[in-house]
Amino acid sequence: MRILLIEDDADAAAHLAKNLRDAGHVVDHAVDGEVGANMAGAGDYDAYVIDRMLPKLDGISILNRRREAGDETPALFLSALGEVDDRVKGFKAGGDDYLVKPYAFPELLARVEALGKRRAAPANVTTRYEVGDLEIDVLTRTARRAGRKIELQPREFRLLEYLMRHADQVVTRTMLLENVWEYHFDPQTNVIDVHVSRLRAKIDKDFDKPLLKTIRGAGYTITEAD
Amino acid sequence: MTGLREPAALRPQDAEASADAVNVAATAPANASAPAGEPAARGGEESAPGPPENARAETAEVDGGWPADKSKEEAAPKTARARRRARDRRRVGGKLTLNRLVRTTAFRFTFLYVLVFAVAVSALGAFFYNSTFAVVDRQTDEIINQDLVVLADVFRNDGPGTLRRVLRERAAWRDDGVYIMIASPSGAVLAGNLTALPEEALGADEGFFDFSYERAAIDAAGRSVGEETRRGRGKLRRFQASPQSDSSFLVFVARDITSHEDLRERSQEQITRIGAATIGLGLLIGLVSSRSLLNRVEAVNRTARAIRQGDLSRRIKLTGSEDELDHLSANLNVMLDQIERLMSGMREVSDNIAHDLRSPLTRIRARLNDALKADHQQKDEALRATLRDAEGMIVTFNELLSIARIESGEGAGAMEPLDIVSLAEEMAELYEPAVQDAGFKLVRRLRPCPTVLGSRPLIGQALANMLDNALKYAEGGGTISIEAAPSPDGRIVLAVADDGPGIPKAERSSVLKRFVRLERSRTSEGSGLGLSLVAAVARAHRAALRLSDAKRSAESGERPGLRISLVFSAAEDLG
Repeated sequence: MRILLIEDDADAAAHLAKNLRDAGHVVDHAVDGEVGANMAGAGDYDAYVIDRMLPKLDGISILNRRREAGDETPALFLSALGEVDDRVKGFKAGGDDYLVKPYAFPELLARVEALGKRRAAPANVTTRYEVGDLEIDVLTRTARRAGRKIELQPREFRLLEYLMRHADQVVTRTMLLENVWEYHFDPQTNVIDVHVSRLRAKIDKDFDKPLLKTIRGAGYTITEAD
Repeated sequence: MTGLREPAALRPQDAEASADAVNVAATAPANASAPAGEPAARGGEESAPGPPENARAETAEVDGGWPADKSKEEAAPKTARARRRARDRRRVGGKLTLNRLVRTTAFRFTFLYVLVFAVAVSALGAFFYNSTFAVVDRQTDEIINQDLVVLADVFRNDGPGTLRRVLRERAAWRDDGVYIMIASPSGAVLAGNLTALPEEALGADEGFFDFSYERAAIDAAGRSVGEETRRGRGKLRRFQASPQSDSSFLVFVARDITSHEDLRERSQEQITRIGAATIGLGLLIGLVSSRSLLNRVEAVNRTARAIRQGDLSRRIKLTGSEDELDHLSANLNVMLDQIERLMSGMREVSDNIAHDLRSPLTRIRARLNDALKADHQQKDEALRATLRDAEGMIVTFNELLSIARIESGEGAGAMEPLDIVSLAEEMAELYEPAVQDAGFKLVRRLRPCPTVLGSRPLIGQALANMLDNALKYAEGGGTISIEAAPSPDGRIVLAVADDGPGIPKAERSSVLKRFVRLERSRTSEGSGLGLSLVAAVARAHRAALRLSDAKRSAESGERPGLRISLVFSAAEDLG
């Protein structure tokens, strides 16, 4: 993925850029809002990672300009402001995701990759997802593995659907909580893990090849690869 | 600006600790953890940073540096602000001088009112004066004219002799009539009670004129007591015996108007006096009322000065009159409560950050120091330990910020009508697997409730923290119940109860303070901020947070369990 990183904190930006490059992405870095807006206008990126508070032009304004110019590139806001109102402002400006500083890098990586995926498979309405021999139909809300129907609770289905939509990507616990339950907080206990392990019991237990994998220190992924 | 500085009074906030259930009143800060005797924290005079600046500074820190040019932009208005502040300072102080009294709004209004009133009274007075005395004047003139008509008749029909006789008779009447008949051109006075024509007659032609004359003064018994000057009004008429004749008679007919002239003067005086008294009284009332108003405003000013000098606990005294000033004062007091709460919240956050982040920071420094001298494997170990510490600090820091922001009323914008029951159901669904995995049974006790005005994310998070708390501390228990039900007084109770060891009454208020974990739970994980966040959410919703025994009457030896409840008012009750 080609990622434009607009961040004025040199240390944080260098660290972030290095890690994103290590994960196989191409990263351009802009040091302030104006440079960032210009670079966004000039280059063809798969995702923007924008700090909300920037010199010269703040993150919200940059994205407003891009959206006015018809630029639909998905954007993730980085911010020290993490309350409900801030998030709402970020999403209103056309942001696609919102991550509060300080964050763990795997969380950021997972979210940026999820954004890129969203772009790669645009609005063509897919109602069926497949990973290996596991398939789900969003319309009939059914899941099958190797042709065998799997009984899922509604929430389990939403969980599986989210994982399948982001197949081969890492999905973090907070991403799951945000997208499946629509809550934004860090649970202090293992609530999400328990849900995931129950889902895993339903889709993987009776089969040789596990699909739902735990990525240590990051989250989960559903993938055919080992 | 002296003498008002007092040591900051910290209100007792833990008084309820001994109560059966700890009630955290929605408005009172539940966390009295800031040690007393720290007036410096709030005592700074001008240097005490306002809450917004404080908040900005904090954000900047988190963000890793406030952009340089923004701070420059800030610098320019700051000098203007300083000037304004200096000017305001000149205005706010001062004693009740006449100058200040006269410049009050109340006095200006009174003055204007008095002015308008005075103009109206003068206009009215002038109108009455004129109409009354003009009527009297007209009557006098009428009488004189009629007299002259009669006399002219007499002269025409009966000749000068009869006229002279009639005039003599008339003059002899002791009334207000004043007459004189003079033969012309001889100038002999033929009849009348005047000795000569008054001087004023020389200039007058046929019209009326006023004059003064001397007359014998007569006392009540009819005796003559010297002379007095009287005033009269009359008309001169020349009677010609025949058109050819040279001789004619001048007849002067007048009325004595001394008495009503006196009355006129007295009335004039009276009107002037009453007018002056009215204006004077009006101004006096104006001064007095402005003074009382100014006194009350001054009380507000005094409070403001005291607060500026660091005593945030000061409040404006209400007079109980429930007038607009009282309403204003009450509003200001509520605002001050909020500011004080925010300030103490801010201070507490910084205290807490210092408290809780200092030890891991110290640990990290020591560990890194050692690692510099250690071998490769030990370095790796040190790095890993440092990373764990940093992650713990980030969690703590985020939670502290969340609490501070909730308490500053940030979530208030997201308040919406909420169905607590469906929210509780969602949370139960989210937590049920984890609860079961931990070996508990999750019991739902959900009954239909009226709508609550609240923030779904905040209440959701509070409920999650309550459930986390039960999961962590209800060791040895068997069930965790999540309850939502209307209370008999029309409020809505959202509660999580467990059958764990519970919390002794004496310790209940302290667990709501930040970073407090009871001694026996020291070993388990957690920042100790979970319930503080619940308390903050409760305050943001003006809900009561109660900790009580889950079992009403636990027998000795039986575990009482803990029940944490949030008691909300129904949305319609909040208006």
